[in-house]
Formats: sequence, C-alpha cells, structure tokens
Amino acid sequence: MMNKELMIDVKNVSKVFKDGTVALDRVSLSVKKNEVVVLIGPSGSGKSTLLRTLNLLESPTEGEVYFEGVSLSDESTDINHLRQKMGMVFQGFHLFPHLTVLDNLRIAPVSLKKQTISEATITSELMLQKVGLSEKAKNYPSQLSGGQKQRIAIARSLTMSPDIILFDEPTSALDPEMVGEVLNVIRDLASQGMTMVIVTHEMQFAEEVADIVYVMDKGRIIESGSPEIIFHQPKTDRCKEFLKRVIEKK
Amino acid sequence: MDFSFLLDPYYINILLQGLLTTVVLAVVSVAFGTLIAIGIGLLRMMKSKVIRFIFGAYVEIIRGTPIVVQLIIFYSLFHVNVLLIGNYDLSPFIPGMFTLFINSSAYMAEVIRAGINSVDKGQWEASRSLGMTYTMTFWKIIFPQAIKNILPALGNEFVTLIKETSVLMYSGVAELTYQATMIKSQTYGFMESYLVAATFYFLLTYPTSQLMKRLERRLAKSDE
Repeated sequence: MMNKELMIDVKNVSKVFKDGTVALDRVSLSVKKNEVVVLIGPSGSGKSTLLRTLNLLESPTEGEVYFEGVSLSDESTDINHLRQKMGMVFQGFHLFPHLTVLDNLRIAPVSLKKQTISEATITSELMLQKVGLSEKAKNYPSQLSGGQKQRIAIARSLTMSPDIILFDEPTSALDPEMVGEVLNVIRDLASQGMTMVIVTHEMQFAEEVADIVYVMDKGRIIESGSPEIIFHQPKTDRCKEFLKRVIEKK
Repeated sequence: MDFSFLLDPYYINILLQGLLTTVVLAVVSVAFGTLIAIGIGLLRMMKSKVIRFIFGAYVEIIRGTPIVVQLIIFYSLFHVNVLLIGNYDLSPFIPGMFTLFINSSAYMAEVIRAGINSVDKGQWEASRSLGMTYTMTFWKIIFPQAIKNILPALGNEFVTLIKETSVLMYSGVAELTYQATMIKSQTYGFMESYLVAATFYFLLTYPTSQLMKRLERRLAKSDE
C-alpha cells in the first residue's frame, strides 16, 4: 500500500513535445497532505509543464503520476473525477467571461451534480467571502481588476472542495500593486492546511509559504529542500546562479 | 410607372402568397442550416483525418460553386413525385430546400468552426481542470462564447439566406421572385413588379439584421 499521506507522487516523468523539445527529463517529486510545495526556476525550465502533468493537462511521455494512490495514466482512471479533487489556478485567470462571478463558481459543482443550485449558491457565497469579494457576485469578469479575477479564480477552484490546489504562476500576469492581495489569499489557504503546489517567481513569498522548494532547470529538478536551505545554503552552482540573478533583478 | 396592380386583390394575393413562401423557406433553412452547420463544424474539428477531409471538401465544393447551378443539379438528381400535403404540392420544394440546407450549412459551418476556434484555449483548460467533461465544457463554456463571437457573421448569413431563397424560382417554387415574375408577365410592369419584390425582401432582411444587432448588444453585456 502507498503511504496515505502521500497525495501526489511523480515517478520519473519525462515530457517530450512533438517538435522534440524535452520539457521534462525524468522528474520525480512527491507532495504530502497539508504540504505547500513550491517550484522555482528560470523560464522554460519545465515548472509549468510539471505542474500541468499533475492533473494531466499535459500527459507525460514517460513515467507515472499518482494522485492519492491512483495512476493518472491507468486506462481505468476517470481523470474527470480526479480533477474534481484537484483545483487549478492559472496565470491568465481563465474565468468564464459569459458567466457572472457567482455562476463561475457554481457551474462546476452544479453541472457535475455535486451540489444543487441552492447548495452551490451557499458554498459559492462562502468562498467569495473567503477571498473578500462577496459584493462582486453579480458582476461579470470583465468588470473586475486582475487581482480580483485571480481571487475569483481561486474561489472557483475552492467550490469543488479540492484536496489540493495547483497554482501556475498565479501572480505573473498581475500589476505589481495587485500581487499582494492574491498572495494573501494563498497565505490564508496555507495557514488553513490546504495542500498546494505553487509555481512562482515570487521568491520572498516562496520562502515564506513553502514547506519544500524544488528548483528546476532544463527540465530537471536540480535541487530540493526546505526554503531555509534552498534560499540560504544552495548546494549546486546552477541554483546559486539562478537565485543570484532573480534577487539582483529585484 | 404604374403600381395600380397593388390595389388589385388578385395581385395582392399572389404577392402575399409569395412572401409567405419566402418567409417559410427562410425560417426553415436558417433553422436547419444552423443545426447542420453546427454538426459539420464539429465534425471538421474531429481528430480523424478522413472525416476532417470529407467535410472540408464538402465545405469547399459547396462554397466554390454557384447556388443556382447546385439547385439545377439537385433538381435533376431528385425525381420527386407529386407530394401532396392537403391540396398543396410540396415536390418542387424538396430539391430547393435541400439546396438551401446544403448551401447555408457549408457557409455557416465555416463561421461556427472559426467561432469555436476563437475561444481561448485557457477556457478549455480551466473548465476541464474543474473536472467538467469534454461535452459539458463544449456546451456550457465554449459554445456560448463562440456564438457570441460569431453573431455578426451569423446574422449576415441569415440575411444572405433570406435573399438566396429567390433561386428557388428556378425550380418552380412560388416564392416572392417567382410571383413577381408572374405579375410582370401579366401586367407588363417589369420595373414595378420587381421593385415591389425588392421592397418585400428588404422588409424581411432589414428587421433581421436589426434583430441580430440587438441580440449582439444583449449578449455583449458581459463585456461592459
């Protein structure tokens, strides 16, 4: 039997795109329950691709991804069912523009018959409260600021009460003054014990919120460990170089 | 110019019958044409190369040949016997309706396909990552946005279709243009009878395009 506390287990995953680009090269990683895992590394290092293999938005060309003990690539696996338990928040928000905020939150639980409309309304309102945007329920996404959109996107993933949330550079598309409000929501989730995998370029935030940091470069994990170690005593030269570069930029 | 035939109940009756036939033809072919077009648009996005090729060829061939020629080909292809509904013979309608369905579906399929492709890929990913199935995502997330994007183009297609029903006069359907021709041959008012027909067509197309514009504005409210 697998360790029950092990929520995600990535074993030797490789991803080669059709044009021959190697995005992931034999990557292994695991995420325990209640853990916050942060993936950092230069652009094009494979962080986002790795994150996207976790819910099979990207299918690995080799290796296995297990979610709660179930292999995603197994033919009998119902990926739609597993995805209900894995929230995802994107860099570009991807709210549904033709639906009000409230309907953005309700559509999945109602369509998937997880909740009745009135139940979903109650959950949705609760989640809006959680991200501090109750007053926006009747608005359309186009009427929101970037920071508000991303908070709604987080609330939308929460309405399915997921076991884990995957964040793909949640603040990279935001104006600097809006980064804080989104990070605060993620901080709150972390303090409530939500299991999360976060791809980010916000190093300070990564250091503060992460239980484990993975550093990626050229499709490989080059270093992993606690934020104290990674940010203050990195072992490899490549990791040192990367950190020096991002910190100089600030 | 002599429009006095417009006061004659006999000619008024002929014109109104033609108008009614045109309206019925337009409404039925818009409805069925759109449905067939959605089907073809979807088939053209299937993974199977064979299916994509077949329906790609269908769209190209239909769009690349004149509708009058298509009508005449279908007319000679189908030997429909007299088909009485009440005491009305529907047989000339069959090749005509067929032509309109085929023709409008080919044009609209392209519009619909473009509309579906114009929806950001992130919308698929966001919906699928919530656990929604492919079908759910298509109908609840992608399709409504696609329709909104293509409403102006679709409105144009509807207007075009109303006008194109006039080719059915070649297959003996007593629609508006056919009736105008008949009035012309009885009154010798060439210009007058076709001017009246043109006015009637405009009275159909103009409200249609206005209606589509209003629908566009209503659907655009989420963009404010």
